[in-house]
Amino acid sequence: MMPFIKHLALAVVCGLTSSVQGAQAPQHININQLSTTVEDVVVPLPNEIFGALNKLGAVNWKEHVRSDKGPNFTERPRIALLLGTVIADGFIAVQAEDAPTVKDIGQRVLALAKGIGVGNSITPHAKAIIEAADKRNWENVRLELDRTQSSVQQAMNEVHDEKLSQLVSLGGWLRGTEVLTSVVKQHFSADGAELLHQPDLLAYFQTRLKAMPEFNLPIIHQIQDALIEVKPLIDVGNARIPAESVKKVNEITTRLGSGIVTRD
Amino acid sequence: MNRLAKLLLRTTSVLAAFVVMERTSFASVDDAQSFALQAAEPYVKQGFQVREDYWGGDLGSGEKKAVRQQLFKGNEYWFWLGTEVDRAKVSVHVYDSDGKLAEESDSWEKGHFAAAHIVPKTTGSYFIIVSVEESPEDRTHWALVYGFR
Repeated sequence: MMPFIKHLALAVVCGLTSSVQGAQAPQHININQLSTTVEDVVVPLPNEIFGALNKLGAVNWKEHVRSDKGPNFTERPRIALLLGTVIADGFIAVQAEDAPTVKDIGQRVLALAKGIGVGNSITPHAKAIIEAADKRNWENVRLELDRTQSSVQQAMNEVHDEKLSQLVSLGGWLRGTEVLTSVVKQHFSADGAELLHQPDLLAYFQTRLKAMPEFNLPIIHQIQDALIEVKPLIDVGNARIPAESVKKVNEITTRLGSGIVTRD
Repeated sequence: MNRLAKLLLRTTSVLAAFVVMERTSFASVDDAQSFALQAAEPYVKQGFQVREDYWGGDLGSGEKKAVRQQLFKGNEYWFWLGTEVDRAKVSVHVYDSDGKLAEESDSWEKGHFAAAHIVPKTTGSYFIIVSVEESPEDRTHWALVYGFR
């Protein structure tokens, strides 16, 4: 009787597996043939990188928390860049489990979103961030920060402000890269440095910035020049990214980060 | 009274037909996204954070679309594909930047849902290939969401 049950169970499992598996995917495809149908990348959230960093060893996130309010800009591209960095700061404060800073960031995000005319879509998320921080529900804070960024960008896209939306992503990416390189610089490891291997993302931002000639601001030009400097440091193919390159990228992104939060 | 009943019946039928037409004509990528999120639901309980951002569009039967995505070694990812067209068959597969199949063996396809699982061996760009294998519609909406932990 027992062998029969065993065979029956095996048959059920096999049946279930075969019902959910389709045709075999080819083991290899020609990537060059895809060029005309490739969609844009979705820019990773800073916490996607921070999660990978955490797996390499304990990180003292508290030393990377930044809560200064910064100036109030009037130029919309500057506000968009700053908004991206402030959302990234929110993810850092979540890693550090710093509730007061998260709450400040919730307020700051709302003020910046109002500055570029998308405050209405952010109000519920800002409220949810503050409530979740009060309860120290870090998972919900993460979720709401993601929703905030997504809602801001969706609202901008709806009014054809896609370029500002891309600057929000760029601001977040720059701040995330600044913190990533700062952590890896302190405790260098090849695996940590490899997290910088993001050449397609860099190329994506370069292309987007090139298409923004109307945003004739010093900070935009500084970022464009900086990305040219960063490219050879992280676009290394199968080679390893050395400690010296990590240090250099950190210097560049720290300089830009300071430019984003400082009035010209 | 009889005439009133007939009128009511006729009005209700017209309204019902209108509702059905509206549903058909306004089916969108957002509907497809809700199916992709439905496929992701069980994984959230396993600690996967599902991104708010997603890709979407429409494809004819047999057509493919490639999505390029930056993945980080150390994280684990699932990509979930869905469409609102019940009788469609979709698939999703992940390839590395050399074009080599990079997904885990527990990736799956089931009618109008499919999912691909990847634990990246290196940090870099990957290609997620979505395909509408079969569909009764000329164009089939699709949406792809992803999660990581």
